[in-house]
Amino acid sequence: MNRAKRFPYLFAAPAILLFLAFTVYPIIASFVLSFQERVGGEYVFAGLKNYTRLWNDDIFWTAMQNTFIIFVVQVPVMIILAMVLANVLNNQLLKLKGFFRVSFFLPAVTSLVAYSILFSIMLQEEGIINTALSYIGITAIPWLSDPFWAKASIIIAMTWRWTGYNMVIFLAALQNIPEDLYEAASLDGANKFKQFFYITVPQLKPVILFAGILSTIGTLQLFDEPFNLTGGGPADSTMTLGLYIYQSGFEYFDFGYASAIAYAVVVMVGILSIIQFKIAGDE
Amino acid sequence: MAKNLEVIEQSTNKLTLAERQQKKPKKKKNKLKAVWMYTLLSIFLVVSIFPFYWMFIGATNDSSKMFTNPPTLLPGDQFMTNLTNLNESIGIFRVLFNSLFVSGLYVVIALAVCASAAYVLAKYNFKGKKFIFTAFLLSMMIPYQATLIPLFQMMSDFNLLNTYFAVIAPQLCFPFAIFLLRQNFLAFPTELMESARLDGASETRIFISIVIPSMRPALAAASIFLFMTQWNNFMWPLVVLNTNDMYTFPVALSSLMGLSYIDYGQVMMGVTLATVPIIAFFLTLQKQFISGMLGSALK
Amino acid sequence: MKKVTGLVSISMMLVLSLFLAACGNGGSEDEGSGDSNKVTAWAWNINVPVLEKAAEKFKEENPDFELEVVEMGTDDVYSKLTTGLQAGGKGLPDIVLVEDDRVQGYMSAFPDAFVNVSDKGFDEMKDSFPSYKTELVSKDGAMYGFPFDGGPTGVFYRTDIFEEAGVNAEDIKTWDDYIEAGKTIKEKTDKAMIGLDLNGDDGLYRMMLNQQGTFYFDDEKNVALTSEESKKAMKVQQTLNEEGLVKETVGWDAWISAMTSGDVATAPSGAWLYGSITQQGKDTSGNWGLIELPAFEEGGNRASNLGGSNYMIPSASNNADLAYDFMEFFSTNKDVQLSAMEGGLFPSLNTIYDNEAFTKEVEFFSNQPIWSLLADEMDSIPAVNYTGDYAVAKDEAVKAQSEIANGKGIEEALKASEDRLKNRIQ
Repeated sequence: MNRAKRFPYLFAAPAILLFLAFTVYPIIASFVLSFQERVGGEYVFAGLKNYTRLWNDDIFWTAMQNTFIIFVVQVPVMIILAMVLANVLNNQLLKLKGFFRVSFFLPAVTSLVAYSILFSIMLQEEGIINTALSYIGITAIPWLSDPFWAKASIIIAMTWRWTGYNMVIFLAALQNIPEDLYEAASLDGANKFKQFFYITVPQLKPVILFAGILSTIGTLQLFDEPFNLTGGGPADSTMTLGLYIYQSGFEYFDFGYASAIAYAVVVMVGILSIIQFKIAGDE
Repeated sequence: MAKNLEVIEQSTNKLTLAERQQKKPKKKKNKLKAVWMYTLLSIFLVVSIFPFYWMFIGATNDSSKMFTNPPTLLPGDQFMTNLTNLNESIGIFRVLFNSLFVSGLYVVIALAVCASAAYVLAKYNFKGKKFIFTAFLLSMMIPYQATLIPLFQMMSDFNLLNTYFAVIAPQLCFPFAIFLLRQNFLAFPTELMESARLDGASETRIFISIVIPSMRPALAAASIFLFMTQWNNFMWPLVVLNTNDMYTFPVALSSLMGLSYIDYGQVMMGVTLATVPIIAFFLTLQKQFISGMLGSALK
Repeated sequence: MKKVTGLVSISMMLVLSLFLAACGNGGSEDEGSGDSNKVTAWAWNINVPVLEKAAEKFKEENPDFELEVVEMGTDDVYSKLTTGLQAGGKGLPDIVLVEDDRVQGYMSAFPDAFVNVSDKGFDEMKDSFPSYKTELVSKDGAMYGFPFDGGPTGVFYRTDIFEEAGVNAEDIKTWDDYIEAGKTIKEKTDKAMIGLDLNGDDGLYRMMLNQQGTFYFDDEKNVALTSEESKKAMKVQQTLNEEGLVKETVGWDAWISAMTSGDVATAPSGAWLYGSITQQGKDTSGNWGLIELPAFEEGGNRASNLGGSNYMIPSASNNADLAYDFMEFFSTNKDVQLSAMEGGLFPSLNTIYDNEAFTKEVEFFSNQPIWSLLADEMDSIPAVNYTGDYAVAKDEAVKAQSEIANGKGIEEALKASEDRLKNRIQ
């Protein structure tokens, strides 16, 4: 009995110890740092100064707004796209399934180096994308130099990179849905569309939630795309929280302030995740 | 879904004549649907694959062909040159070994750590369980830039800079993997565990011999995520590794990015090489992974 | 099932061995940095052969000397340096390469983090370097770094495009001439005069500021974004843009690509551009020329600087004395410095400018002796104040530039940026 009681702790111990050492400790350390500022090369206690500065920092609010816009547009677009693709790939009439599956997953494993060089070249004003668009009569789009289109570029790049990844998650879950559910539904006269909304979506709910939270975290920490494609410009229109944290620490050497921003992000992700749980209605 | 279609069609045989007549238009509809499906998939295919093709083009051409206008879209003859140059710059085999070793080891250990934690979190009741799980999940929200410096300081205090251990240690307890695995363990029928207990199996034995074997797809899925994370990990290895012979692929490739001089032929060759193992890894495990989370088979 | 048990035990053994390996490795690493004959350096690609060549020569006098160069990307050097300094001087090398525009940021954020090389006797060599370089690495009269390569500027231009348009580059004396030439080229060849990343980088603006002897900050470290010089520089950019002479090139790759594929006629830049265009534009050999930067008024200063780098010794180094000896040798040895030119680096050591390597004709540039043109500039490059807040100031300057490009008035945009900047660095 005693052994059985100890068992769960024993089994969770490695994870918990590693977690304490490599996650909890650095988190506390950087939390402490967020109440400090650098004076003449030394960190001294500064009270809430970093946080009040944050409250009055236009760039922070711009970053917040940008992140929010990107989040609201990108996450749903990607999840819907991933679900559509997963549904199509789940069709047994389809040939070459494995081939498609791997191909769609590829972007998620591309090296960031190749990805950023390629996208920055393709998105130039005379780049391959605008050239392609000109064939269908669309005039050149200033992908990286216009505030609106720069955001769009970031969204496109992110969607390209992560749709296949989410699709794979959905695909696995789709195959888990009992087939008799569909059979019953079609006997009841529900068309494919209805089946999708009344069976597939509810059955996938936990997975959608899962993908949604992952994407929320990913978006709020968004760094790679703006760092490599736009550098946050033009005029902060693609500045994100992740990028601002990086710049504050690594370019302006103010790690106290960087930590304060990071904690603001944590609070926000927390709130958003709770909202998502609430909307999804279960845990 | 198509399987359902077949089932439905079979069952129509038993149905009335009126319903039977629906069969023909349905066939046509299927064809139409197939065309639509393949068109959609092909568009996505091109979009997904093009960058890889372009990578390959870059790897077989001279650096100066990289940004020509119109773009170079055909393979060149510089494959061997780029390969040799790259090998001279970063030492391909050493880097490949480092990356494979670090990622392989990481997957094995992290999987063991995460799976055992996920298992007890899913299947046992103990004090503090909810708190631990919530703490794991919350920690995913911390941006890594914020914890980089304290972690680095810790590694250097313990004299662990420039070791493989320092590269993998911080992420061994990977909350995302724990979450993923826990969700799967939840579906494992508790009755099977009970009956094993009645047969006198120890808790460890139950986990290793009964639960784990049926969780292969979930473990495969987690491995894919873990492997990807470590294989592409850049910032952390960059910061803790201090000699060229310890570099992993992303760090080594980044070392090619000088200020005014970048040999893109080499970079693209390196990027191509770095992508191959991860695709191979995915290909090996995807059957396991996709073939259904097996949870359904047990229901 | 047995397989799984086996797997688990294997993995446990691996963990154990890993811990052991970690300890072993960590220990030897520590010894490495304490080794009195070994010096570690961090630098990026084209600098590595120069360091290695220097080490080879240095060994002739000091046979036990050993140099380990850790090659890394330029941005990676800063990521690692910042992390190490932030952690209180952990895991740092004995020598690190830092670009001109980053030097003062590091010196001001980490005041005691670098070795004072004046104390070690480098002041004696001061005259061998242009004053703008030595001032850059100085604080309170003492030097904290070794000047290495410089970025004397010039307008790199495509001779084939200029010929087609019938424009003589040598006739361009002022920025007004430059704009006029641009209009002619646009008219005759439909090519843009210049590639600019108006929303991302302000290289041209910085060159024009430096040329006029000022920068984001004036000599007293006051914010100077609204200075007359700054307005003049923005005016040139605005005119270029309004006349349609600018091709938007976002990011480095696009900029290089525009030049080598002949989409733009000129590129005002630092000497190091030589390395990039000779590599990326192999087919364009013989189609290039170089003139000095145009002046703001007839007879005005045409010398400026963009880029360049310096070596520094972190105070945390266990081997600072040896590192100093090696770097002094490196910085003042003529052969070493000349070898830097092979990678397209322009040495700032002025005692070698009469060497054949500088006076020779360069085939890639239609046999123009471009190196002597650049060397002649070195003494006229004004020293300017980067300050520790350079990075923030640049961020704001780029924003002003971007707003101007999108139609905002020069005065208004610069004023807004200046106010924001003052607020950010208060």
